[in-house]
Amino acid sequence: MPASENLSGRRKQISLTVNGKSVTAEIDCRMTLAEFLREELGLTGTKVGCNRGECGSCTVIMDGKPVYSCTVLAVEAVGKKILTIEGLTDEEGKLHPLQEAFIEEDALQCGYCTPGMILSLIALLHRNPHPTEGDVRNAIDGNLCRCGSFSNIMKATLKTSEKMVEMERGK
Amino acid sequence: MAESKLLVQGTPPPPLERELTVVGRPFNRRGAVERVTGQAKYSGDIRLPGMLYGMILRCPHPRARIVRIDTGQAQALPGVKAVLSKENTKGWRTQWYKVPQLAFPECITHEGQEVAAVAAEDITIAQRALELIDVEYEILTPMLDVEETMKNPPLPLVADEEYPGREIYDRKPYVIKRGDIQKGLAEADVVVEETYTTQASFHGTIQTRACVANWDGETLTVCDAIQGVWNSKEALGISLGIPPEKVRVVVKYLGGGFGSKAWSQRISFYAAKLSMVTGRPVRIERSRAEEFLAHPRRWDCKMYIQMGAKREGTLTAIYERALVNVGAAGLETNYYAMQIIWHTANLHACPNVYLEQIGVFTNLQINGPTRSPLNMPGIFALESHMDKMAEAIGMDPLEFRLKNCRDYAIVGSDAGEVPDATVIESEEEIPYSSKNLDECMRLATRAIGWEKRKSYRAARGGAKRRGIGMASYLTFQGVGLIPYTAYADVEIKHDGTITLFIGVVDIGGGQATIFPMIAAEELGVNPEDMTVVLGDTRDTRYGPSCQVSRVTAELGPAVLQAAAEARKRLFEVAAPILGARPEELQSKYGQVYVKSNPWRSVPLKTVCDKIDPEVPIRGGGARAPNPATPTFSIFGAQAVEVEVDIETGQVDILRIAAAHDFGRAINPKLCISQVQGGIEFGVGFALSEEGLYDPNTGKLLNKNFHQYKIPTALDMPQIDVFLVEAEDPYFAYSAKGAGENTNAPTPAAIRNAIYNATGIWFNDLPTTPDKIIGAIQNIKKGG
Repeated sequence: MPASENLSGRRKQISLTVNGKSVTAEIDCRMTLAEFLREELGLTGTKVGCNRGECGSCTVIMDGKPVYSCTVLAVEAVGKKILTIEGLTDEEGKLHPLQEAFIEEDALQCGYCTPGMILSLIALLHRNPHPTEGDVRNAIDGNLCRCGSFSNIMKATLKTSEKMVEMERGK
Repeated sequence: MAESKLLVQGTPPPPLERELTVVGRPFNRRGAVERVTGQAKYSGDIRLPGMLYGMILRCPHPRARIVRIDTGQAQALPGVKAVLSKENTKGWRTQWYKVPQLAFPECITHEGQEVAAVAAEDITIAQRALELIDVEYEILTPMLDVEETMKNPPLPLVADEEYPGREIYDRKPYVIKRGDIQKGLAEADVVVEETYTTQASFHGTIQTRACVANWDGETLTVCDAIQGVWNSKEALGISLGIPPEKVRVVVKYLGGGFGSKAWSQRISFYAAKLSMVTGRPVRIERSRAEEFLAHPRRWDCKMYIQMGAKREGTLTAIYERALVNVGAAGLETNYYAMQIIWHTANLHACPNVYLEQIGVFTNLQINGPTRSPLNMPGIFALESHMDKMAEAIGMDPLEFRLKNCRDYAIVGSDAGEVPDATVIESEEEIPYSSKNLDECMRLATRAIGWEKRKSYRAARGGAKRRGIGMASYLTFQGVGLIPYTAYADVEIKHDGTITLFIGVVDIGGGQATIFPMIAAEELGVNPEDMTVVLGDTRDTRYGPSCQVSRVTAELGPAVLQAAAEARKRLFEVAAPILGARPEELQSKYGQVYVKSNPWRSVPLKTVCDKIDPEVPIRGGGARAPNPATPTFSIFGAQAVEVEVDIETGQVDILRIAAAHDFGRAINPKLCISQVQGGIEFGVGFALSEEGLYDPNTGKLLNKNFHQYKIPTALDMPQIDVFLVEAEDPYFAYSAKGAGENTNAPTPAAIRNAIYNATGIWFNDLPTTPDKIIGAIQNIKKGG
């Protein structure tokens, strides 16, 4: 591709829902969802640790399923509902019970993998409110944590699962 | 009253003389809300107005000479604002690891070395610009394997080929000796020899290194991903030819360090230079592949050990020859000429030792601090050998270690510094400030169910075999050498705000949490009443880089002293309110009270009302350097239970028990997290992580997380952590420091457990399934 090539022909308008708000933008077709969230929307809670679907720090929830946003093109997300870590707290800024449990159980150290880790686990709790420890381990097998917080992540998740089930019953 | 031994300059603060209300409690981590909500801004998340995007062109060969470089087309590309290469930066040297090196040399000494840097309006243009740079290389034969390299004389250097540190370290034995090694070997009932190899390994921080540099014509501000703001400030100032006081370094959040970010690195220097050339902020962020290529990583090592012991279990001799692949640079702070042998010398008592460590320069990547850089390889070899020795004399490995446990070191200086002499002859016995290694060993083995070893051994058979193993370790703590004295400052204002200023970074170890806890304890307030300013050279005095588990050891006493001084002034203000003399006062939970009558009290906020609004109360602290004696070390032992599938070669770690002597934990919750994190590193080093090089070209083959396998949630077992706590008067609340080195004993403990399960000694890390299957097939063949 010659350097002078005009890239505007590769642009496309996209519309999608991010954290409950509809978003429309004109973007470079080659842009990944992670780049779109970070660079265009400024949602830098989505981290990019490898940019090739290995580390999981870019995990977001797309139509209820966890995806590596570095391996999804922004144009593939047209019409989809995206949940990023910024959308997990409610409007008053109240933390999700899993976020609270992460803090209480010290399920993070440097915190870089944490947003992706939490979103993978949120997706797990949605599809399986009563996970076993093995289910939790499997759910985050694609999320690397080099600080080695796994055992506290297990604790935080299982505790949240119990709490959410109790809250459900209480309703 | 005993004289205070706290390591501070000037008068040590008086003892607290009340029960602790903050220190030792499991408070939640500071900055956690920002991290779990995605609000925490790491360096790569920062975008400044007018910011340019920088990228680096890296040499694809381990050793080459640039015959010709043409950046003309790249410079002409619309959107490109600057291109740096050797052509327009002649003579520019950057200060990396305290040694000046050519920023863009003509001769490349390792794969991934920087050839050019560009800054452009967006990342796509920057990438395209790199593609347009035309470089012609003359590919030279690289030095790769240590033993092969040593067969030939050192290379004659071509052009400006540089191997910083080569003249100091290359092929030179550094020796620690004691007693008479020949006599010790002759006295032994049994002598056991073995060779161990360990692999090149990488930090694998999940955040890749990123920095944003902004030169405004007066001041250079660098938001960086580094473990030390102050050492980086110095390095940036020297590298860019500006006074350090015009450099501000900021790190608010750091996505993992483990040594990889010990200093400002070359991308910070290039980003700063590009900002100075363009007059605009520049961000450079490395890709994962660059991270593997351009990071100083852990050396591959080969260690030969010959050990002699009496049948009753007394060690009589240890001979060690350790070869270390230094890579292309071995500088004051990224190669440790005696680190392996320091640990061998000091862990177990032995009257006769001859230990030599030889570093060899090659064309592999630069090496550098990596969680227990040479400690982990060294401890792996030694603690593996201890088990083999125990077996040879028919003794229980725990009993053998306990029998040779002692209360003194023979080499007290920090082996991480440049040694004064190449040979240390030591007949000394330097006491430790505190040591509870025997207790750690007993606790870890009891927790794992040590007695099961015998039944596991007897039950060897079937496809899945279980085993238990252990290992111990020690690590040197703190330095505090002038001019690198750690300082801390506390300020109490009229409006009641209390702020701690410390020049360190919270790298995930909880530094932002534990230092305010120390200050809060001294002041008698709740930790949440304290604000902490850290990770910014503008607002703080010198603090050490967060490496070698040193900040708690080095900064803790300074923080305690600063807070105690502020408390003294605060009591002077409170005394008239309470109608008592300052020395009669005490404080806790945010109340100042009279010791003899705690009901006579006043809230600290009320006392603050009396502080002059123009003149806040200030307290300062400064750490004194480590004395020649005693020696400061942390200790620990880990015991592991594994299940080995001899058909697939798979090793499952079922459980790990870890007992550590860190003195006392300021915050046990965070301290335990550190132990678990270290163990993850140890598990990866033991079983799966390995940098693979093409033996012909010397190129790194696995520059990604798919092929460089760090442990995942499925690989990590249940870990039971025990903190063996005891007094150590030299440190703040006896906190000697913790964290980095908790990986050091893990690989040997796993390896010894695999032996218990299979009856096979594995001496070459990592112990991958193919090695296990190969060894078992060998036995079946009668090999």
